[in-house]
Amino acid sequence: MSLIIDVMTGAVRGGTSIMYAGLGETVSERSGVVNLGIEGSMLMGALGAYIVTVESGNPWLGVLAGALTGAFLSAIHAVLVVWRGANQFASGLTLLFLALGLTSLFGSTYVGKSVTGFSPIAIPGLSDIPFVGPVLFNQDPLVYLSFVVVPVIWFVLFRTRAGLLLRTAGERSEALSVNGYSIRTVRTWAITAGGALAGIGGAQLSIAYTQTWFENMVAGRGFIAIALVIFASWNPIIIMGGAYLFGAALALAPALQARGVIVNQFALDAIPFVLTLAVLAILGKRTLSAAPDELKRVFENAPPAKT
Amino acid sequence: MTGDVGLIPLIPERTRVVDWHRVGAVTLRWTAAILGALAIFSVLLVAKGSSPTEVFVDMWISTFGRAKSVEEIIIKMAPIVLAALAVAVPARAGLTNVGGQGQLIIGAVAAAGTALLLDGMLPGTVVFILMIVAGMTAGAAWAGIAALLRLTVKVNEAVSTLLLNFVALDLLLFLIYQPWRESSTGQPSTRELADAAKIPVVTGTGVNIGILLAVIAAAAVYFVLNYTRWGFRISVAGGNPEAARRAGMPVAALLLSALLVGGALAGLAGMINFAGTEYKLRPGFGASFGYLGFLASWLAAHKPLPILVAAFVFAALAVGGDSLQLDAQLPAATVNILTALILVAVLGWTRSKEKAL
Repeated sequence: MSLIIDVMTGAVRGGTSIMYAGLGETVSERSGVVNLGIEGSMLMGALGAYIVTVESGNPWLGVLAGALTGAFLSAIHAVLVVWRGANQFASGLTLLFLALGLTSLFGSTYVGKSVTGFSPIAIPGLSDIPFVGPVLFNQDPLVYLSFVVVPVIWFVLFRTRAGLLLRTAGERSEALSVNGYSIRTVRTWAITAGGALAGIGGAQLSIAYTQTWFENMVAGRGFIAIALVIFASWNPIIIMGGAYLFGAALALAPALQARGVIVNQFALDAIPFVLTLAVLAILGKRTLSAAPDELKRVFENAPPAKT
Repeated sequence: MTGDVGLIPLIPERTRVVDWHRVGAVTLRWTAAILGALAIFSVLLVAKGSSPTEVFVDMWISTFGRAKSVEEIIIKMAPIVLAALAVAVPARAGLTNVGGQGQLIIGAVAAAGTALLLDGMLPGTVVFILMIVAGMTAGAAWAGIAALLRLTVKVNEAVSTLLLNFVALDLLLFLIYQPWRESSTGQPSTRELADAAKIPVVTGTGVNIGILLAVIAAAAVYFVLNYTRWGFRISVAGGNPEAARRAGMPVAALLLSALLVGGALAGLAGMINFAGTEYKLRPGFGASFGYLGFLASWLAAHKPLPILVAAFVFAALAVGGDSLQLDAQLPAATVNILTALILVAVLGWTRSKEKAL
């Protein structure tokens, strides 16, 4: 039982950064644009949050900085893809390289610097509930924030006018222009907001989960988030569950090793990607039919609809 | 580029006269793009408290002024060229192969596995040839997974090849942390490849003949894409699948073969990096040659000969990064900024805007 609690606690702590990035990617992809640079936005967010927290001593300012730096990087993706017609995959990978470079240049002086970020806070009462308490209610504030962000994103996407416009950009972009809206503006906002969410994910990683900064610390979590979005068929609620599932796969090896069971970490690390591929292979067409229509055009290399 | 392919009969680019006006315009845009990238990089260096002129001069001198660095550039160029060709061939068929990195890793894993098994038993040359075969086959098979997923359940190859990159990376790490690990202490790696099976070095230099294989591959791809029936057919299948189908072309087989060829080229890149440069598998094997190749192919508009130039630029930048670390005490990864800025400029400002969303 203690093993399961350990693994699930680790899953929530470690899965939350992936969840934020997955939510960001969902917002972007729902508007019809893939952002492979989400890993870069996480890196920028992780460093931005770290620097501001170290310098100001206020981790909430750090989160804000993380969101802004993550948004900044994705805004470049928006400019390149939406306004300049660049290929989405090439632009996304380019921005990942940009983020790698920027964060190693400006992060080098922060390697090894200590930070007073977020620590787990037990919520009185709730944290005493067996199993659920330690897993969900003895976590850092950014984990608690995610409990709010997930339903909010769902609500915004599916129950508000802004969400309707965003999804229309992803499903039937021509309907937007017919009604006098600019597809480009809607997508620019969606991609940038997605980057901000990924930036918060990066912040959770650097100032809450690990409380440290080192070069390339995101280490592929952004790509796990991209797999997660497909795995969760572009649904914010399923993304939450999927992030914990993937997080559990990553948390299992350390928990077993702490009990003297030697496992090869890397077999477990592949689980998110193998699972997503399996889901695609088994549910193939069904998974993709959940994808926004404009995104399918990207995937099928069909020419995008005229603006 | 799409759509009009069906209207072009078998008259490839060779019949076109060089349009010097266009060449001039392109050169101008590229120069502007690179100068813009350098300008922004300078601003960032100033923000960091370094002197851009000093950094650039140091970088230039230690990248091109030392024989050792120039050799290093040529060595790094080989896998980047091949990884870029691995993107360019499927791109001709309308496919996006983001999986060069994974195919490269799997190619290296297969080559290393072959060597671990056989390099003590067979003559070096035989092992060398078997490693090439194993690397290319494994790379093609890895790309083949994505091709099959696309043809059977219509999973987009950009997604599947990307995901397979990470499966390949975890497989590599899995192998070197346990089953193939040479010694349980120190950095995990496989046993070093036997000397006899290593890729021969050009006499008098430190450069292995991998670059030769890469240049031959680029020339071969150029020839095959532009002058053979298969090259023509995959571009028709990529440009207008419906027209290709009506013309009786086996579209599925064409797409499959284009992706397999791409995977084989990336697998060869991995084999060369293993048997020519690193000699053992270790964490961080293959750097990010697969992704750099992807970007080099985009920089070169998927054309084989410009790919050689783009790969040279990226290889030089990678070597320049090392000198940044030595001379200016800046992290080597800083140079990624320059790589990315050049791409941003080229992707955003040197092509027509017509395809904007």
